[in-house]
Amino acid sequence: MRNFIKSTLLAATLSVSSMAHAQEDITITLIPGLTTDAFYITMNRGAQAAAKALGITVDFQGAEEFDPVLQTPVLDAVIGRGPDAILIAPTDTTQMIEPLRRAHDAGIAVITVDTFIDDGKYQDGLGDADFPYSYVASDNVGGGRMAAQFMAAEIGGKGKVYVSNVRPGISTTDQREEGFKAEMAENFPGVEVLDTQYNENDASLAASQFQAVYARHSDIAGVFGANLFSALGAGNGVESANKADEITVIAFDAPTSIVNNISSGLVDAAIAQHPAEIGYFGVMAAYAVLTGNSVPTTIGTGFTVINAENVDDENIAKYIYSE
Amino acid sequence: MTNTDMSKTKGASFVKSLLNAWSWLFLVIILGFFEIYAQTQTGNTFLFRIYNIQSISVAASQILLLALGLTLVIVAGHIDLSIAFTTGFAAVAMALVIRFVGPEAGWFTVIIAMGVGLLAAITVGLVNGWLVAQLNVPSFIGTLGTYGIARGAALIVAGGATVSIRSDEARVLGNGHILGIPIPVVAAVVLAVICHYVLTHTRFGVHTYALGASRASVERAGVDVKRHLVYLFVISAITAGVGGLIYTSRFSAGAANAGEPILLYAVAAVFIGGASLTGGQGTIIGTVIGAFIIAVIQFGLVFCGLPPYWQFVAVGLVIIVAVLVDQSKGRLVGGST
Repeated sequence: MRNFIKSTLLAATLSVSSMAHAQEDITITLIPGLTTDAFYITMNRGAQAAAKALGITVDFQGAEEFDPVLQTPVLDAVIGRGPDAILIAPTDTTQMIEPLRRAHDAGIAVITVDTFIDDGKYQDGLGDADFPYSYVASDNVGGGRMAAQFMAAEIGGKGKVYVSNVRPGISTTDQREEGFKAEMAENFPGVEVLDTQYNENDASLAASQFQAVYARHSDIAGVFGANLFSALGAGNGVESANKADEITVIAFDAPTSIVNNISSGLVDAAIAQHPAEIGYFGVMAAYAVLTGNSVPTTIGTGFTVINAENVDDENIAKYIYSE
Repeated sequence: MTNTDMSKTKGASFVKSLLNAWSWLFLVIILGFFEIYAQTQTGNTFLFRIYNIQSISVAASQILLLALGLTLVIVAGHIDLSIAFTTGFAAVAMALVIRFVGPEAGWFTVIIAMGVGLLAAITVGLVNGWLVAQLNVPSFIGTLGTYGIARGAALIVAGGATVSIRSDEARVLGNGHILGIPIPVVAAVVLAVICHYVLTHTRFGVHTYALGASRASVERAGVDVKRHLVYLFVISAITAGVGGLIYTSRFSAGAANAGEPILLYAVAAVFIGGASLTGGQGTIIGTVIGAFIIAVIQFGLVFCGLPPYWQFVAVGLVIIVAVLVDQSKGRLVGGST
């Protein structure tokens, strides 16, 4: 405990001495999980809005795939350029710890957005990676629960469903699945959750997996697509079985391609995160740290359910991720 | 090349197809296994359901579209890794044209968009051909380079994201049926028949096999090898490009990574089908069987409810068996190929 207090005091002193900056020369780099996803592009728009409001510079640099092997060299290059703070969506909970420690050791303030490292609880004196100042993200477990509630309501509280997912080891999609399954287990005993199908982001494989599950369980009632390609593939599989009216497809995330499928009836609802908020509050948190202010160690952003009834509403349209 | 050469090659390919019977056999065995499983565990048939056959065929055709042109390239002793993103480039190009015209885009727009997608693909094929034929870059390296370039180009034109479209015509194209057969399957069958014909019934096919066996002899016979190589890479790009057009139509979205997860399955299908890394061997029929073996395994294991990672193990095992059979061929018949 004494050590903890000491290190906290030390950190506090350090942050006052080294991190107080004149506002106009503050630079922050946002490193997304991948640069080729409307989610992160929308996040960057929120970050740029905050940068404009504060009169500081935010760069957007990343790898084109969600992969720690590709993200690390980008991070190293960014550290080499030496921004004041890095906002990063780490692509692996453990593999990105050491690369990010290098940033911290170089005096760069680290804040994680969307995904986290270690246990996601920072500045508490526990765990391998305690140095990031804050974790800004939607509560993906909560989002998964929201999807489960919506699913259960659509299928009348009973029937077989399964999760179409990317691959294990990604903190966000794992949490969505966890939340979905937990909610079903706790509150909807009539719903049977079948084995998860992993598609490696291949919509074609996700479609074929749906068809195989349907061939085995012709009474399947719904699919929860944990990300874009999972939902697109599952929706296509449902269409090929001519069951769009009977089988409920719920998508996590709301890029335009999912929203188009809501309009056409293939996807019944999308759980939209608010990536622009993540970017905006991420930059604000970094700015607070750099100017010697305290920040909460976790900042949670919201969700909106988009379905056929509200998809054309302009208050909802702002939550659609767009390029 | 004379008629005697032609008939000799035909005779050799007959022996080869006999030797390739193991892949037929393997397909029959796994289908039999899943049929027995389905009969005993679910009381239903696995194989004799139109829905299952259609689903497996569509999955196989997406793999096959990348594998068809690749077969020709591999027969000639080369490889084309760029098809992963040739597919994505074509998918994105098609989606962009449809999106540019807007929601009232009709059949005319869709056809133009498909033309643009194919042109994008052909461009990659021409660059590959130029690198390998004119600059003598090894195809593995050259197409690894264009793999990156096509990926970058697709992402740049797409603005980094998936290009979604709203077009009923495209949707029909990707999800409709002709005489009860899904259109992606029809496209794959048509291209497979053309590639099979080219490889077995034309001088071009004879030269392709000969090129894989010995480039020097083909050059001595007065064939323009450079031009031949360019044609091969363009054919490979076209079939992969059609794969991209089908992808965009099926999912109403052009994704730059459309073909990336499929590349390894396509390569696997060609080798399971009896092709050899050293060239001179391989048939379209073999590749079709290879693609079906992979699609049946993927579908069947989900159907059985096996944990998902067994899919990777199963496909990996089949590839290893394929290579072992390929190696033992030479010993068994004393290098008749």
